[in-house]
Formats: sequence, C-alpha cells, structure tokens
Amino acid sequence: MLAAFEYFAPKTVEEALSLLSKYKDKAKMIAGGQSMLVVMKQRLLTPEYLIDIKGLTALDYIKYDEKQGLRIGALTIHRAIEKSPDIQKHFGVLSEMEGNLATIQTRNWGTIGGNLCHSDPAGDPATVFIVLKARFKLASSGKERIIEAEDFSTDYLEADLKPNEMLIEIQVPNPPPHTGTAYEKLMVMKGDMGVVGAAVSITLDSKGGCQDARIALSNAASIPLRAKKAEKVLIGKTINDGLLTEAGEVAATEADPPNDVHGSAEYRREMVKVFVKRVARLALEKTKAAR
Amino acid sequence: MKGEMKELKFTVNGKPYELKVKPETLLVDLLRQELKLTGTKVGCLDSACGACTVNIDGKAVRSCSVLALQANGHEVTTIEGVADGDELHPIQQAMIDHGAIECGFCTPGMVMSARALLAESPDPTREEVKEAIQGNLCADAGYVKYIEAIEIAAKEIRGGK
Amino acid sequence: MGETKSEVFGNYSILGKAIPRVDAKAKVTGQAKYAADFEEANMLWGQIKRSPYAHARILNIDTSKAEKLPGVKAVTTGKDFGGFKWGWSGPTRDEEPLAVEKVRYQYEGVAGVAAVDEEIAQEACDLIEVDYEPLPGVFDPFEAMAEGAPLVHEGRPGNICVEYHWNFGDVEKAFAESYLVREDTFQTPRQAKGYLEPPAVVAYWPDPDRIVYIGAKGSPYFPYRILARCFNLPLSNVRIITPIIGSDFGGTKNDMTPADFSAVMLAKKAGRPVKIVTSQFDTLTTDLRRHPMWITVKTGVTKDGILKATSLKAVADGGAYTRMSPLTMFLVGTCMTLPYKLPNFKYDAYNYFTNNPSSAAMRGHGLYHSRFAADVQLDMIAEELGLDPVEIRLKNSIPNPKSGKIYKTVNDVHVATCGVQECIEKVAEAVNWKARKKKVEGYRAYGLGFAAATYNSGTKLSAHNACAAIIRVCEDGSVNYLTGATDVGQGSDTIMCAIVAEVLGIKLEDIDLKRVDSAFTPVDPGSYGSRVTVHAGEAATKAAQDAKNQLLEVAAEQFGVKPDDVDIKDKKVFVKSNPERNMAWERLVRIACYETPGKVIIGRGYSTQGISMYGLADFSKGVGDIGTNYSFTAQASEVEVDVETGVIKCTDNNVIAHDCGFPLNVQAVETQVQGGSYHQGISAAVYEEFKMDSGQTLNPNLVDYTRPRAYEAPMTQVIHVITNDPYGPFGAKEASEGSCCSAPPSIISAIHDATGVWINDLPAQPEKVFWALKKKREKGQK
Repeated sequence: MLAAFEYFAPKTVEEALSLLSKYKDKAKMIAGGQSMLVVMKQRLLTPEYLIDIKGLTALDYIKYDEKQGLRIGALTIHRAIEKSPDIQKHFGVLSEMEGNLATIQTRNWGTIGGNLCHSDPAGDPATVFIVLKARFKLASSGKERIIEAEDFSTDYLEADLKPNEMLIEIQVPNPPPHTGTAYEKLMVMKGDMGVVGAAVSITLDSKGGCQDARIALSNAASIPLRAKKAEKVLIGKTINDGLLTEAGEVAATEADPPNDVHGSAEYRREMVKVFVKRVARLALEKTKAAR
Repeated sequence: MKGEMKELKFTVNGKPYELKVKPETLLVDLLRQELKLTGTKVGCLDSACGACTVNIDGKAVRSCSVLALQANGHEVTTIEGVADGDELHPIQQAMIDHGAIECGFCTPGMVMSARALLAESPDPTREEVKEAIQGNLCADAGYVKYIEAIEIAAKEIRGGK
Repeated sequence: MGETKSEVFGNYSILGKAIPRVDAKAKVTGQAKYAADFEEANMLWGQIKRSPYAHARILNIDTSKAEKLPGVKAVTTGKDFGGFKWGWSGPTRDEEPLAVEKVRYQYEGVAGVAAVDEEIAQEACDLIEVDYEPLPGVFDPFEAMAEGAPLVHEGRPGNICVEYHWNFGDVEKAFAESYLVREDTFQTPRQAKGYLEPPAVVAYWPDPDRIVYIGAKGSPYFPYRILARCFNLPLSNVRIITPIIGSDFGGTKNDMTPADFSAVMLAKKAGRPVKIVTSQFDTLTTDLRRHPMWITVKTGVTKDGILKATSLKAVADGGAYTRMSPLTMFLVGTCMTLPYKLPNFKYDAYNYFTNNPSSAAMRGHGLYHSRFAADVQLDMIAEELGLDPVEIRLKNSIPNPKSGKIYKTVNDVHVATCGVQECIEKVAEAVNWKARKKKVEGYRAYGLGFAAATYNSGTKLSAHNACAAIIRVCEDGSVNYLTGATDVGQGSDTIMCAIVAEVLGIKLEDIDLKRVDSAFTPVDPGSYGSRVTVHAGEAATKAAQDAKNQLLEVAAEQFGVKPDDVDIKDKKVFVKSNPERNMAWERLVRIACYETPGKVIIGRGYSTQGISMYGLADFSKGVGDIGTNYSFTAQASEVEVDVETGVIKCTDNNVIAHDCGFPLNVQAVETQVQGGSYHQGISAAVYEEFKMDSGQTLNPNLVDYTRPRAYEAPMTQVIHVITNDPYGPFGAKEASEGSCCSAPPSIISAIHDATGVWINDLPAQPEKVFWALKKKREKGQK
C-alpha cells in the first residue's frame, strides 16, 4: 500500500518538464516503476508529487542509422530493446544484456530511462552503455545537455540529474570495425541482479593488436565503474591470456565492492578478476565476427 | 491535491471500465478489491514472486508494480478472462491434465505468463518456456510439470504439430 | 520434449493412475478462494504492531492516540488475553497471543488495531507508543548455552528447551571393534518454509459467544481447540472454516500467529468482522522456519563398509518459543536406524531457546538434518575405504521384509515394507552409474552424487490422533465426503475423494468434498507428518465401506441374495454370482433413501491403524514408532560447478526413485516428489539461508533470500517403487518428504564428485564454494 501523493500524467515532454520545474525535488518521476514502486511500497520513498511519464509515447522509440548509430528513447521498455532486430544485429550485447535483466514481466513494463535514472551500481544497462561509449541526453525546460554515460552515475542511487531535468534519449555510436563487446554477470538465478558483472569492449587494429579497450564493472563500487587502469593493460598490446589475467587483477584493485548477503567485498574482488577475463575473452571472440 | 481521485478508462477481460481511482492504488489492489477479481494474487512486496502477473495488451506484467492509473487506455486480462466461458484455454487444460497444479497460488500467474508466451511464440523452445515463467515463483511443484504442460498446450494450439 | 505419460499401477478403477485434482479447475481459473480473498460485510482491516527489538521488556503500551484516530474501531494488547498461554502441547505452553511482559524475537506482536481501511489501520499502528527496555539476547545455541547467558525464558536455565539422551546397544564397544571410525560435523541453515501465500485471516462473532474464523491453516483443529480455550468457549461454538490453502510445509500455517488471535479479539471488541492479511515481509521475518542445526556424526564401519555404530549429536536453534521442538529433536534421531541397518546407536540432542523467531516443523521435518549428515558421511567413508557409493548403500540397506514379516530397529521402529534397495538399484540403472565418467568443460566441472533416505509416514502423536470421516449419500446418488483433513496443496482432497469413489464403486466426479468447517466436519489432526494419506485415507476407506455396507444390505434384499453376494463397480450394482442381475447406482440409492421406509445412508470411519499398532513413541527414551509406515527414496543428482566462481547448477540428469508403498495418484506423487526435491531439498543444499545479525533478519525479501526458480529447475525423473504396505490404505505410504531428505546429500556428494571438496555446511552458496575450492588448490600446491 502506497502513501498518498498528488498525481500528474503529463501528455508531452514539455508538460513533464514544466512540472519538474515547478515542483523540483518535491516531485518524483515514475516511468515503468519497476524499481521505484518497490521502495514506495516499503515506504522508503514517499514523494508528495508523482509525475507519471509512462504514457509519454513520444519517448518510446529505437532508431538505428548507419552513420548516427543508435538512438533509444528513454521510455523504451527493456523488452523492446531485447527484441529489436536492429539492436540484435548491430548492438547484440544490448539485447543479450536485456535478456538477463530481471524477468520478462519486469522487462515488459520497465523502461531503460527509469533503470538508468535509478542509478543502481548493479545496473546492467549503465555498465554496458559505458563500454559502448554511449551518451545520454538530458532535458529541462528550454534546455538540453549531453553527458557521457560514464559520468552519469555519481553515487549509490544518485545521478547527475538536476531536480528539473529528465533523461530523454540514449545515444550509442556505431562501434568501429573489429570491435567486439560483451557483458556477463554473476547470477545464481537467471535474471538476478549480478553479484558483480563486467562489460568489455575491445577494438582491434588491422594487425590484430588492441587498438582500444573499455572495461566497466557492475556492483563493484558505488557506481557502475569504468576500470580505466585495467583498460590500459590491454590497449596498444597484442592480447594474450596473461594480459587478460592482469587486466582482471588490475580491475579488482580499482573496484570498491560492497559487502552484503550476496557476497563479501573480498569475494566480489575475486569475481571481478574472473569476469573481466571471461568477458574480455568473449569480446575478443566477437571481434572476429565484426566487420 | 493529494489523494484526489483521477479518472481511469480501460478494459478488463474485454469489459470496459470508467472508474475514479485514488492515484496511489496499485493495479493488483484495484483488480482484487474494487473489481472483486481475486484470482490475481499478492505474494510479496518485492516485485519478485509473479503471483500478481496479468496481461496488459497481451504482455505479461506484474500488476503489483503498476499504478492502476498507468493501465489507462490499455487492455488488461486477468486469469478470470482466460477461459472462453466454460471452455478452458489449452494452457489451463494442460495444467490440469498434467498434474502441474498443487496449492495453486502461483497458478494464475503461471497461466498469464504462459498465455503471453504462446501468443508471441507458438512454438517455444524449452529454454523459452523456462524463461517465460522465470518470474513466477512456485514453492510446491518443482516447475517440471508446469514446463511440460506449457509445451503440451503449445503443441495443442499449433494443431498437434 | 513435452509429454511424459504417467504409468498405471494396480488394477483399480480410479487409484493407481494419473488422477486430475478435484480442485484444479477452480485454481486454474482463479475461482479458488484463499484466505485473503474472503470478505465479509461491514468488515474492518487489522494490522499488528510489532517489536523492533529481539529481546526487550515491555514497560508500557500507550494505545490512546491510536484509539482516537478516526476510523479506528478497536485496539488490543496482550493484556486483553488474561494471561492465556498456548503451545503445541500442555507442558510447552509458553507463548502468549501478544507479548505482555517481554518480547523474545524481533517483530513479535505486541498490539493490534482494526480500522475501516488498511491505510488507517497502518497509521493507527504507527501511533501506538511502546516503551521498551532492550535486553541483551542470545542469537545462536552457542551463545545460549554459554555460562551466564541471558535467559530467553525465566525458569528455563541454560536456555535449554529440549534435551534427549538415547542409547541403544554399545556404541563405544562397536567403535573399538571398527576398522574405521569417522567423526564429521555438518550444519543445516535457517530455511524459510517458502509458501507463496502469506497467511491471512478473517474473523467475526456471529453471536456474543460464537466465533467464526476463516484462515489458511493446515491443521484447522489446532486453532479450533486453542481459540476455544483462549476465549473460554465450548468447542462447538468455535467454527473454523478452511479456504483453499496456498501451501504450508508444516509451519506457521499449522500453528497460531499474533494475527490469528488479534483478529478474533478485535472482532469481538469492534463487533464487526476483522481481516488481517500478513505480508511476505512478515512471513520472512516472523513465520516459523526450519531449525538451524549443528550435527556431529561419529560412525564406525568394518573394512567392507558395513555400519557398526553411530553416535549422533544435534545442537539446534529453537528460537524464542518451544513450539514443536520436542518433536523436531525426536525426529532428528528416530530414523537414524533407517534406511540402513544400524545395530548400535547413541543420540544426544540439545535444542536451545534463542532470541530468533521460532523454529518449527518443515517438510522433511527432523530427518532432513540427520539423513543429510549420515548420507554424506557414508560417501566420505566410501571414499576412504575405496568403495563405490552405490555399493556401500546396497550393502547396508534394509532389505524389504517378506510379506507378513516386520523389520525392527534397535530403537523399536517397525518397518513392514522397505523398498530402498530397489530404489537404489533403479536410480543407479537410470543414470548409468557404473559407466559414469568425469566431465570437465573449461571452467565447468560436472559431478554425480547419490543418496538414499527415508521418511516417516502416517505420523502419530500422543493425544492428537483422532481422525474421522463422514460420508453422506444423497438421495440422487451424489455423495458428500466430510473430512477434517486439510489439503494444503499436496492433493489430499483428490486422494480422499478417489478412495471414496473407488470403495463405493462410483466415479470421482460423484464425490463432493466438503472442506473443513468445524461446524460440520469431524476432527482431524491436520496436515503434518505426512499423515493425511495414511490416516485420513484409512478413515475415508472405512467410512466409504460403512456406507457401502448399508447400501449392499438394501441391494441384497432387493435381489434376494446375501449382502456378500452383491458388489458395486462403475456405478453398477450387481449380483456377484450372476452379474446379469443388476441395477444402476442411482436406483439403489433412491430405493434405500425413499423406500423401505427411507434410510439415511451415512458412513462413518476413523483411523486406528497408526495408533493401535505398536503404541506411541517415547520421546525421551527414543523408542517406538512415530510413523505408521516409512517411505524410502534414492536419488542421483548431477551438478555443474563453475570452478572459478563457485556457482552450482543442477543439470537435468536428476533421478529419484520413491517407494511410497503404492502411488494412489501417480501424477500427484511425481509432482510432489519433484517439488520436495527441488524446493525443500536442493534449495537447502545450494540456495537458501536466512542471514541473521543479533536477531535481525538481514534478507527478509525475495530478492535477497534466494528462492529456486524455473530456469534452474532440473527436469527430475521420478521412478515409482511399489511395496504395498499393509498399514496404508491400498498399500500407500507418504510421498515426497523423502525427496526433501535425499536431495541435499545427493547434491553435496555431486559437488564433491566434481571438485573433490566437501561442503558440510549448507547451503553451498557460490562464495562458500569458491573459498573451499581456493583452499583446496592452495593445499594441493604445498
């Protein structure tokens, strides 16, 4: 049972933004509510004003362009991303990641924007978007700004999102040739939040050396963490097993994982080592398939 | 104003409704308490058990994690709307015939998830069947006969092929 | 893929086949009503105020603000109950409906409110002010037993709740003569019952001295008696109505909660019906859970692996109140002498009070702990002696007694049928045990584990065995079956109806089961201890036979023959020596009811089998039968171990052979066995555990408390082993508590097979397995 609130269901983005400008941090925005309603039911969150944007169909889209790459509206449901033929073909890692995100019921109603704004460090999408070098478009009344995915989460459940701003679009550039990207997380049951997870994107040069690498970790810090030092282990080198192991170990030193009922910080650090290596191998495999 | 009733226009099991609803009402509570459709169950507070699963526009959704007002303009189907009068849906019949149902608390949610699956994938793999009910906790049956029943129903719907 | 057709056993019209459940249609269409689906006119919503402290004195409760809140119609506190205490049996009545002097576990109920809606009830609860004096507490048996530890109950020194010391044969001498003696310690976790339906109750007083209680209770006659005593009413004034129940597994829905008492008291005070629906959070923080136990097994064997002696020590965390712990600790020990021959046996049991929520019965009650420890240790012994795990089991197994003979254990457990050898052989064959090979694929190591188990069936307890059935044949040939037996999802309603239809010679659809309503149905102990099929089944058989005999007399008169020359089959009444002389069932019933001069055909029956044979068990000495008969199970489980992360997965290579005597409903036995294995067994082995910190549950939600799901479920194959027990109706014994007991050791042995590591302390969650593997690797490197 939820505590009472004043409710708005804006029909346009402008209307939504104007409500945010008016009520600022007294208001909360709800999209699919798959994260938010849980905490509201437990009375951990009791907003005075609730702005329901689930009905903003203008922000429900997936656009793919050979030059521009991918643009996903913030109110696109997870299931649409999972099943999109364009995404499956050109950004397969996103579809795979969505396939393990909670369960189908959640994916049928929860939105990508809602997930990202919840800013849970265990969040799968944020971690993958970081290695895909995605950018987020944020809007407020009369203004827009673009922010790099890796700069969006600022702390546990906190994002660089002002009280009068909302996330409206996720932009994912086309990966360079010979790029493979993968994401895996440690699950006991399929669909679990990962105990830890690793997203890795590797771009090879024409000689097969590592031109670029991005590594991001989920549930290994207070934010989805880009493991920059680990990346440097791989960049400019010809990747071999030893380097992958080293990358994993370095990533583990960059991590600051939580201690909870699902695992100790120590165990999570060990799992960072395992998953960075495993996922990097998968990403490498995928470079072979990429044009 | 806080608690001010808002208008909700939607269909449930094919029947149109125009209601005034308190915004904090969850869809599951509206279904159970206002519309007296108690077939949809409440099993948890964590959006984890799936006993509250309904179909919204044919897709499986947890009704405990949807504000009633968000159903505005949508078609909701609950377990009560699955059978065609006295004629059970093949999924329902298969679950009975195959002995899947024990205490039955998870059953409505299982049916709704399976119904949505078979509408989308008439010839699902075993993996797809398992995934479709991954969000539906059961505590009794061990899932085996539910999985098999859904496969039997799928075959039946496809005309036995 | 897809279908598995159930086999047919025996030569019956209805039994021995796949019988669709009588309540399946109602459940699959959403028509079935569970407790929370009930409504009464003018109903109020209730809510319970709970203590934030695990151990505290209650100094004062001020309900004045709550009472003044508009919409609040009644408030109750512990004092309203006038010092009433209840418990599982006379000597163990140590619990109050709502705490009065002190609270002993976190979220223990201290007050209740009833209001016109849920929101106001919640608000009113928040307005109740309670002054507590927090007290130091004890949170596991080791803290509880420590010198000078705070007492959970005054007058219970050392926090000892239950203590047994049994001794059979000469264990020390046998150890001295053994080729190998091993001592190993195991630990079983605090496990949630796992039922999906949180308990709910609707209560009202139709008259100033009558109660109506609608609640999800697996043993409705418990609240029947307890509420009568609590409110000082004759039993006939307490009406317990049982809705469809969303599972129980032997715990809270078998017992009373603060919500149960409060709903009745609030309804009395408000003069209106009160509904209290508890939440999954309440369930995961306060409902009864399986005892966490520390089990030390010391076993001596010959060089060939024949068991000579076992000494078992069990230390249990019983939680805040006694509840059923005396039975739990008895069960842990009693079947150590099954399914293998054990000539010398010693048992020391200690169950402690702690400031945790109470522990109580759970599917696989008692035996799950000790059979897990004993069977894993047997594999350890096999490994040490270089023996095959299946061979060592076959060697030690009790053979199936010949017809008419009884196998008696050293602690006076009587077994008329024991199919464990056949179970073991059939499972070994099904998984091609002899040809099994080690399999490793990258970081995935596979292992196959084997286990055997037993479970007591038709549990009988002192002063609590009355189990009766009434059959009323209506004038049109339809039949009412009135029973106190409760179907909590295990399918007992269907079995009872099937038995009645089989005996009467009519169809399943002709039987209308009247669910438990204590105004009309006869008393029954309830659903626990796997007793329903055996005891209620016996009562149903006798009641049906009684009704049938009355009808056969009328038929005999009509045909002009003796009653033993008439029978009924497929709804046809016929002369056995001349079947062409027959009439339809409906016709016979009409004649009986309307003519000559119009009988009332009512059949009565009650169960005697369990009680009359061999007497009752003696808990303190450890002798005697807790069961009427015993089921046997063997299981092979294959696991996939991710050796880099410690994550364990079951493969579909999972086979169980179950000797339930005779499978009355073949399909139901399969579903039950699959479910018991996965939900209670495998889940305890690898997934579930309540994590506690000083009495606080750290994972009281279904995200942090891992419940087993469909994707990870093994497609377990069930093999039926038939032994036709003479003490069960149609030869039946319990189905599936055995698989709760066989699954955990089979999984732990499989993990060992895959990795060489023994995880003695359940659950084998990934982190635990990871460190164990790391330790083993490091040890190997030295």
